[in-house]
Amino acid sequence: MDLSFTPEEEQFRAELRAWLADNIPPRWRSRSFWSAMPEAAAFELRRDWERRKYDAGFAGISWPREYGGRGGTPGMQAIYDAETQRAGAPHTVNALGLAFLAPTVMAIGTDEQKRDIVGPMLRNEVIWCQGFSEPGAGSDLAALRTSGVLDGDEFIVNGQKVWTTNAVYADKIFALVRTEPGSQRHSGISMLLIDMRSDGVQARPLRQISGASEFGEVFFTDARVKVGDCLGGVGNGWATAMLLLSFERGASGIVQYTAMRRQFDEIVATAATFGRTGDPILRQQLASRMVELECLRYHSMHVLTQVERGEDLGAGSSVTKLQWSHTHQELWETFDDLLGPEATLARPRPDTDLRAMQQEAMWSRSVTIWGGSSQVQRNIVAERVLGLPR
Amino acid sequence: MHFALTDEQCALGDAVRDYLADRFALSAVRAVFEDLGGTGNPAQLWKAMGEQGWLAVCVPEEYDGLGLGLVAAQAVARAFGAGVIPGPWLPTVLAGEALALAGSDAQKASLLPAVASGALVATVALRGPAGRYDRSGVRVGADEAGRLTGSALPVDYAETAEIIVVAALEPGGEVGLYLVEPGLPGVQVTGLESYDGSVRTASVVLDGVPGQRLPGSSTAVFVDLLDRGAVLTAGDLVGLAREALARTVAYACDRVQFGRAVGSFQALKHHLADLHVAVTMSEHAVLYAAHALDAGLADRRLAVAVAKSKASDTAREVTAAMIQYHGGIGYTWEHDAHFFYKRAKREAYSYGDPIEHRDRVAAFTIDGISPTAVGS
Repeated sequence: MDLSFTPEEEQFRAELRAWLADNIPPRWRSRSFWSAMPEAAAFELRRDWERRKYDAGFAGISWPREYGGRGGTPGMQAIYDAETQRAGAPHTVNALGLAFLAPTVMAIGTDEQKRDIVGPMLRNEVIWCQGFSEPGAGSDLAALRTSGVLDGDEFIVNGQKVWTTNAVYADKIFALVRTEPGSQRHSGISMLLIDMRSDGVQARPLRQISGASEFGEVFFTDARVKVGDCLGGVGNGWATAMLLLSFERGASGIVQYTAMRRQFDEIVATAATFGRTGDPILRQQLASRMVELECLRYHSMHVLTQVERGEDLGAGSSVTKLQWSHTHQELWETFDDLLGPEATLARPRPDTDLRAMQQEAMWSRSVTIWGGSSQVQRNIVAERVLGLPR
Repeated sequence: MHFALTDEQCALGDAVRDYLADRFALSAVRAVFEDLGGTGNPAQLWKAMGEQGWLAVCVPEEYDGLGLGLVAAQAVARAFGAGVIPGPWLPTVLAGEALALAGSDAQKASLLPAVASGALVATVALRGPAGRYDRSGVRVGADEAGRLTGSALPVDYAETAEIIVVAALEPGGEVGLYLVEPGLPGVQVTGLESYDGSVRTASVVLDGVPGQRLPGSSTAVFVDLLDRGAVLTAGDLVGLAREALARTVAYACDRVQFGRAVGSFQALKHHLADLHVAVTMSEHAVLYAAHALDAGLADRRLAVAVAKSKASDTAREVTAAMIQYHGGIGYTWEHDAHFFYKRAKREAYSYGDPIEHRDRVAAFTIDGISPTAVGS
């Protein structure tokens, strides 16, 4: 056992900490600062901040330098994940592009795609969203029906995508499209890179149970996409999508742990102002949440060890997702239980505004759905880890 | 970052498992289960524990031990849990830890080599009847002359132990640790029947018995000793839980009903997947807690409380599922499932049950009490 980071990694931590301390105004750490701001304005503020972070050399931590990254180690990436959360840094505006599209482009993109996609994404000149889910294709992604019909050197795309994060803010979308007419299931699909501003593409916000609109839906009506704007080869979209999703496996859970560890303290502090931290049953519940949180922290060290060794995490990433998502959900249910009737009120007292925390509590209902529902994750664990029959 | 066992530690765990699978399979466990009048410590098995070095893992090298620490010891404990192995390995190792932590040079020199070799069966009496596993649960008092009066329960293998490490409240309010020979006048050891046939346990009643104080003992050492007991017990629990899960999965793949393997039904699959997640987290937690104690990390007491509560809850749930998913056969005496279930239950309550450990987690993380502070 050696839980330390290298001197170079600790040096990186010190530099990053100093930069974050200088570049995150204290008021940004408050939930109400962000919740009081119109969503579009908050998005622009985050976009600009992240651009400055790039200029300071803190973007693409473990990406190769040739792509504008820092060329750092997996340990530096883990440090970055933890420190940005600890400092209350704004969430990235390019989450799906950075996590999924960029590594896929670096792995299998054409030289042109590598040049045109990765750098502008890091600098937030281009915001990406992901077009996978459809009204009839959620957990069963291979049921997707959005079609692309070849016309000269272009596809004519028709169909609908939904539950698209950042749909209304994105400049481009990487979308799975059935480009082979009559094809079934996993065959005949291509991953097309589509300009959201082009004719025939329309994005609409979707209002969520929290009242926020991070999601949206995207409609394609005879949208024209160049054949060259296909990633990973025409008809090869399923394999491209699987490669893309495999990059989620580098995710250790450290981001979620660090965020939730702050939320735990926030919940305890809020409950304390209502005199609700003495009840022995509620204390047991809070302690159970902390037990699961600490397990997630140890698990993230285990995953980082695997990544540093170059091991394939495979279906193990489903274990990480199940652990953090259900811990998040139970943590926020405990918040409700702690406050009782007051939990349901926007302002249970004149000096207390709970709306931002309630939004986080509502958001927790989504975390066991997106990115593969818990039911799908359990099938994966049961079949690919435990070897139970289909 | 290396959050994993070293190759040597892995090899140690594998060696223990392989040895036990060959020479002390569940049929041998069954014989111990069904011989409640016996010592619960088969001579060949105990001899092997000494010869193979399993008792020497935590003993310092200068006293003929291996000095490998708790991370290695939990790998051994896991193998014992997986095999539902009987015998006084854990109490003897823990008595050795008490000596190493608080014994005088003379006490260490006279006893630790015997602990390491298996020449000595030892145990610990750290809790009184119906007490907690902390200072408030101690029901033995020491007077100024070191005479001990009171009772302790359960004291595993007290009937066969040649030496007992007894925790006693001292006149100054500290908890002291004392060596007691069970043959002395005033010591009454009474065997207690347990439904977990993989252990033999007893109550120990002391009436003015002269104890030999471990000079380095204190409440802090007592708490540390309990934490070590909790981590090794948690190691046994996760080894047991992993094995119970594997056996249940294997059965679910074989057992055909409605024309298909029952393991293909999502009603089983999803629960078994959740149990895999829980066992995985428990394994991480035990590994971290063992390392935290070895390395003296600031959060070691929190880590122990996390590991013991998580491993206890997980092992109970997995072994209950083991019975359920084996169906009717799982509820029979002739099936092995009850060995796992009963041991999980006993160990879940040993060295602090989940509620007691969560109380500590709450104190550390809600009330802001430092995990390095000595708990009462």
